[in-house]
Amino acid sequence: MARDDSLMERFEQHGLSRFRARDAVWAVLLVSTLLVVLAGDSARRAGEQMNPGIGRDLVLLVGKPAGAIADALPFARLADKATAWASPDEALNGQGSFATLAASPAGIPPVTPDAFTPAQLGTKPPAPRPLKRVLVTGDSMSTPLDTSVARALAGTGVKVTREPHLGSGISKSFLVDWGELSSTQVRKLHPDAVVVFIGANEGFPFERDGREIKCCGAPWAAEYANRVRAMMNTYRADGRARVYWVKLPTVRSKPRSAIGRVVNAAIDVAAEPWKSQVRVIDTIATFTPNGYRDAMEIDGQDTIVRQPDGIHFNDAGSAYLARIVLDRVRQDFAVER
Amino acid sequence: MLFPTVQFAIFFPIVLALSWALMPRQALWKPFIIVASYVFYACANPKFALLLGGVTLGNQAAAVLIHRTGSETRRKWILGVTVALDLGVLAVFKYYAFFVQSFADGLDDVGLTFPLPLLTIALPVGVSFFTFQAISYVVDVKRRLVAPASTVDVAVYLSFFPHLVAGPIVRAREFLPQLAAPRDPNRVAVGSGLALVGLGLVKKVVIADYLARTVVDPVFAVPQSYSAPDAWLAAYAYTAQIYCDFSGYTDIAIGLALLMGYVFPQNFRSPYRSLGFRDFWRRWHMTLSRFLRDFLYIPLGGNRKGKWKTYRNLFLTMLLGGLWHGAAWTFVLWGAFHGLGLCLEHAFSRHWERVWKWLRWLITFHLVVFGWILFRSQSLDEAGHMLAQLASPGAATLWSAPVVAAIVVVIGLQLLPSRGVENFQIRIERLRPAVIAGGLAILILIVGATVPSQGVAPFIYFRF
Repeated sequence: MARDDSLMERFEQHGLSRFRARDAVWAVLLVSTLLVVLAGDSARRAGEQMNPGIGRDLVLLVGKPAGAIADALPFARLADKATAWASPDEALNGQGSFATLAASPAGIPPVTPDAFTPAQLGTKPPAPRPLKRVLVTGDSMSTPLDTSVARALAGTGVKVTREPHLGSGISKSFLVDWGELSSTQVRKLHPDAVVVFIGANEGFPFERDGREIKCCGAPWAAEYANRVRAMMNTYRADGRARVYWVKLPTVRSKPRSAIGRVVNAAIDVAAEPWKSQVRVIDTIATFTPNGYRDAMEIDGQDTIVRQPDGIHFNDAGSAYLARIVLDRVRQDFAVER
Repeated sequence: MLFPTVQFAIFFPIVLALSWALMPRQALWKPFIIVASYVFYACANPKFALLLGGVTLGNQAAAVLIHRTGSETRRKWILGVTVALDLGVLAVFKYYAFFVQSFADGLDDVGLTFPLPLLTIALPVGVSFFTFQAISYVVDVKRRLVAPASTVDVAVYLSFFPHLVAGPIVRAREFLPQLAAPRDPNRVAVGSGLALVGLGLVKKVVIADYLARTVVDPVFAVPQSYSAPDAWLAAYAYTAQIYCDFSGYTDIAIGLALLMGYVFPQNFRSPYRSLGFRDFWRRWHMTLSRFLRDFLYIPLGGNRKGKWKTYRNLFLTMLLGGLWHGAAWTFVLWGAFHGLGLCLEHAFSRHWERVWKWLRWLITFHLVVFGWILFRSQSLDEAGHMLAQLASPGAATLWSAPVVAAIVVVIGLQLLPSRGVENFQIRIERLRPAVIAGGLAILILIVGATVPSQGVAPFIYFRF
């Protein structure tokens, strides 16, 4: 085991404690000033991305003037250009952006054959086709579901791509525009099946025609449904792919559950035009039939299925949800077991 | 509040300036730093601040009581109850779900059913660190190594924000003397502080998060989908990642404390140049090693009661050390593996020391890497899959020059003669603060550009 070698004197020994406290304060203020001039907009953006509350107000109190200073000077743009090479984010080209969604489509939207499932019409379903590529995406809800899906399909020859975008939301397009992102994902990956699980960070106001639509009345639900519908349309790739959109389970926090209810209603409405291609997977009946619970019976055994935050599924819950999702996938695709 | 965030970048300069302004008036400085630390902590969840306050008051009351009690038996009893309560806090918040689920599974395996309250409880950030520090304080008072400090000093000691959420585990006798008088404003290691903050940011945000995103997370999530070259790469990458993540956090914590005039103990000393398990634990998470040695291994009897009891004590210490890291069987197994390694090294120390140095390093390093596979895996099954994939032939799909370079740099730098690296570091830390500050600003810009849109991943040790 270790000797007592905490080396508390190490800074004295090397003569490093030779500066004054005011040097420390000035040095940190110099760093702060340089960062305001070179990247003040980051502080403003960070504040705008935070959930409403005192923390957001305080960050914006500093972030707004910092952003204004950075905007007024040319250095931030230069710094942006100089460091662009280091960004790990994929550039989105604007295609499919929510900003381009029509506010109110003219005329009566036509009903297409894709709105009906063979079961509804009493016709024979098409033979399952081979599954080659699956994309599992969404916000933090999609993980560890993505891992569970990938594990369940390991060794079947199906390529599973996991693309969680933590902290993002369909109503948070200032962080990630899911309209653009879904277009990019489809263009890059050409998935046969897309599993989407998103909704932990919703409830942010939308802006439409210069006015704010606050959560969670019918106007907000309609805007949310339009965005979800646009994403479903992108993911279904003109009918070449199938979409498995997982609805939110009840969460422990009541205000969050209220948002979840509206999100789930919007998902149902959004999927209406493509019932044969977009499968909406309910989680409430399975996981929270009588309200939030941490544990449930799986294969005859009481099992904790939620993470301590009362929002996300843990590994056991995700593995069970993956079974439900993959059972649905297997109705559409031939997958080796 | 995470260190590498805009929130903290706003918080710290204000706190630093006010801290030095109030430093000469300790009666104002101490309440100020307590409030600042609680604000820092409450950003995660304000309710957890109550727990921190409760632990502080409970342990302070116990320390005072122990100090005032003459009877050794009563002192022992008070200490025992206090430590049990502290461990009870850990048991409830950290291990409840794990133990109840494991117990329910065990009953189920033997065909019994018993309705157990299966609940999840939110884990307060840093609970493992501040409860350990609280224990160290009360035990040191009981051992008469320190006198009980004032409640305000104890509150500063336990809540001081640079070490609050992930250590290093600072002992009362290292920190409380620093609170006895205002810090000397003419003897501040500004260069070291700034350089350590910069180094920590690079380690965490640039290297650790990059390796996690590109190699470690994909492979450890579904090892079955990767073959040996990628599995080996992921194992080495995680070895580099966990060092950069944790030592990066420690560097930032030590650097921030230095700027405020306080010194924390060293927590890492090139752990991957170790020549055995004993050597490894003298270099890796040194403050935890000291804690386990002083508060577990030695009270168990240490090496004073014969060979077999020494082995038992070593093994138990490491087993519990493993469990401290998290409520999962993988951590228990990791601890047991290190315990076994230490026992074998003790048993065969004379033979082991005769082995060529390079071979001892190679064996130790790969045993440590093996341990990290257990540590990183989500379950024993996944660890099994990962280990199986290490021998599964196939193509390398994740190998790239930046990944290999990052691993080689992180591990390679630790193998260089330590004197050379230290001298280089000292030369940098002696530069004028303005020069280092300019460099740090540019570094933060570049580091910030490497952060994905979803932000910085939490430090691995935040979970522990």
